[in-house]
Amino acid sequence: MIKDISVMIAGTAGDGVLFTGNVLAKILKRQGWEIVTYRYFPSNIRGESTNYTIRGSLKKIHGRADHVDVLMAFNCDAIFEHITSVADGGIVLCEGQEIVRMKPTDLSAKTFHAFPMRALSKEKFGNEIFKNMILLGGLCHILDIDLSIIAEVITETFLKRKGREIVRKNIEAIHLGCEEAKKITEEHERHKLKRKKDGNRLLISGNEAIGLGALLGGCRFFAAYPICPATEIWQWLTHYFPDHGGLVVQTEDELAAVNMALGASYAGVRAMTSTSGPGASLMMEGFSLAGMTEIPLVVVHVQRVGPSTGMPTKSEQADLMQWIHGSHGDFPRIVLAPGTIQECLEFTIKAFNLADRYQCPVILLTEQDYSQNFRTVEKFNLSNVEIDRGKLLTEEEIQGLKDYKRYEFTRDGISPRALPSMKDGVHMVESNEHDQRGYRDESSHNRAKMMSKRMRKLKTARKDLIRPKLWGRKEAHIGIIGCGSTLGPISEAVGQLGESGIDTKFLQIRTLWPFLAEDVEAFISTCKTVFVVDNNYEGQLAQLVSGQVKPKRDLKSILNYSGHTFRPKDIVESVNKAL
Amino acid sequence: MLKEKDFHLHDPTWCAGCGIYSIFSVIKKTAAAEDMKPEEMVIVTGIGCHGRLNNYFKAYGFHALHGRALPLAQGVKLANTQLSVIVVSGDGDAYSIGLGHFIHTVRRNVNLTYIVVNNMIYSLTQGQTSPTSRKGFVSSSTPQGSKESPICGPHLALVSGGTFVARGFSGAPKQLFRLIRKGIQHKGFSLIEVLSPCVTYNKTNTYDWFKDNIVDLDQKKEYDFRSREKAWKFLNNKHKLAIGLLYQKEESSYDELVLPAKDPLIRSPLQIDRKKMDKILKKFE
Repeated sequence: MIKDISVMIAGTAGDGVLFTGNVLAKILKRQGWEIVTYRYFPSNIRGESTNYTIRGSLKKIHGRADHVDVLMAFNCDAIFEHITSVADGGIVLCEGQEIVRMKPTDLSAKTFHAFPMRALSKEKFGNEIFKNMILLGGLCHILDIDLSIIAEVITETFLKRKGREIVRKNIEAIHLGCEEAKKITEEHERHKLKRKKDGNRLLISGNEAIGLGALLGGCRFFAAYPICPATEIWQWLTHYFPDHGGLVVQTEDELAAVNMALGASYAGVRAMTSTSGPGASLMMEGFSLAGMTEIPLVVVHVQRVGPSTGMPTKSEQADLMQWIHGSHGDFPRIVLAPGTIQECLEFTIKAFNLADRYQCPVILLTEQDYSQNFRTVEKFNLSNVEIDRGKLLTEEEIQGLKDYKRYEFTRDGISPRALPSMKDGVHMVESNEHDQRGYRDESSHNRAKMMSKRMRKLKTARKDLIRPKLWGRKEAHIGIIGCGSTLGPISEAVGQLGESGIDTKFLQIRTLWPFLAEDVEAFISTCKTVFVVDNNYEGQLAQLVSGQVKPKRDLKSILNYSGHTFRPKDIVESVNKAL
Repeated sequence: MLKEKDFHLHDPTWCAGCGIYSIFSVIKKTAAAEDMKPEEMVIVTGIGCHGRLNNYFKAYGFHALHGRALPLAQGVKLANTQLSVIVVSGDGDAYSIGLGHFIHTVRRNVNLTYIVVNNMIYSLTQGQTSPTSRKGFVSSSTPQGSKESPICGPHLALVSGGTFVARGFSGAPKQLFRLIRKGIQHKGFSLIEVLSPCVTYNKTNTYDWFKDNIVDLDQKKEYDFRSREKAWKFLNNKHKLAIGLLYQKEESSYDELVLPAKDPLIRSPLQIDRKKMDKILKKFE
């Protein structure tokens, strides 16, 4: 019985690869399977090769698989490019003419189905547009997917946007593909998927979950500049903000975005901006301003491949240090790294509370991988969303205060915050060093005290931060440390290694800064060997861990900077090789 | 009703004779005349000698980053439209490092009052050529004379869809008072550039120089500030700097267009209705 299946849809940008994949993902989800999608797209609208892998599993999964089980190809090049990723016993669905040009070694141990999708589409509909749905119909026959599920998904997808006629044609195309598959496949070539109850689950991307988290977390102002792969957050908010008293502003650049969000937050609205690599570089100046002026701010940074323009639609973890050490001067900042969709939502809500409580910038550092891709998650429990605005004063609380100090020296470093319009709260906010009332003060005595006050907030915040999460058996002596998207491949690698008798455990770092060294030290102290997995060249997480934990330990870096995320086997192989 | 002195927090320490003293005083006068209250005003400044202004002014103040006063101020205004937001910049802040923001704020037409103190030099950094310095201007950064053409802020505002474009002179405070007051009353983005001599570093563009080189449109009976063509014509005059209300038109401001609700954003409820949320989640099933 198949328990896990990865279907790669490959073609040229413009072929409808993404759309076909999204329909398939929804179909498999309705079939009751856990879903992880993985898109590998060029930063181009048309013309270059592109592929999208939909993974379904009967168990919980967080990342892509080691192999592709089914390759659905729209052209010859796609087959030649991806045939080596197809596992033995795998299936290839293609037009047919490719097969004669394949090397015998590539053909072995795989089943090829020549599927005249273009000809069928032309014959039936007069054009080739329906080739994807015909091919998808073929796959649905092979996997024995309930046609009523398909009809349901197609109707939901098209009815509102395109109307009844398009729904009918798409369903017809799927049936046509199904019939064709019946003709060209033997019964023993089918791989019938188990059907489970769909249950109370959602199929959602990290970017959408962050949008949702912002809405739930009380964010009502969002300013940003378009950038891959962060734009979906913004697009999501434009749909839902107007209904909930929120405003989305498209700014002229990221300098404006961060400053505008900061201005709105200063005035009292929970505000956020989102960006990626180059935009984050532009935001560094405003980041420092938020730190200096102690204004709450949430920045979502969806990491893509750098440096420079890099590969805008692909995933990497090379911007950790940018936010941990970035911008000029020392100032308090909190950097969170969600690893699952559930965490994207929860950490976003938490980020707004942390920003308000500690009056500092909070960064949600995510990655293209789970931000633009979809995962199945249990339906969010929304009954206990906490909104805590920290030491924000009310009009009543401030009334009659004769000597209000916006930047009062306090034991915990956090000073009471008044908002413009409050009568007895009039104060100055200075980007220069300032005194307790906010007015410019460059005296050395004040500087040292004010600096300590600001930085003291991070000490206060420590107990409130999100601690690392342990995955696997705590008795294991081989430890793997990772953050963000490496959660998927590492947690699976732990399972695979366990099956071959190698006992490992995994520590998922969830707050990158301030670094919770005690928790990591405790983990490391129980390990004979420690690996750190980094989706970047320089081993940024390894550097962070190694610089923060005592006593200093020898850490083994597992690196990948190919533009792809890790597969479980990449980690298994690295661990095996090092042991 | 409050008076000018009620907005005075500290005595400024700008160089004696600096044009900005008169601007500082006019803003305080205007605030009193417009019946404003310190708690309802936010003065945002950029980086430059002008940037100290809100440290001396009794109102909420925000000394922002170099060139970024406008985006920050827009955030403040959009979050709470009940605040009067006045932004003060210098020529370097507005037309050099912040030029992109300037043009985009003009075309966005957010309801702000923008006062640009134009002394045609960088003074806080001790005397370099600025984007409004004339060609040939000799300074520590251009000892052989500037080879670049100057930028004209009101010109840019006019071609970028500006709805209120004015220029004053710190040597003519009565007119400046009228202009800033009209700017505050204007619904939308108002630019009031103020020609303001730097007595320490700019020995070229002095009070006398300005007096010889300005033409006051408010004194010209035939001038019509509703005519874009006329404004264009006067701004095109390379030899004379036009002052007065150059152009004004009525148009819906950005805040009116994007914030139809009566209550400002800061009063939006933070909790989401459960039924609405369930409907949103349904889309992901």
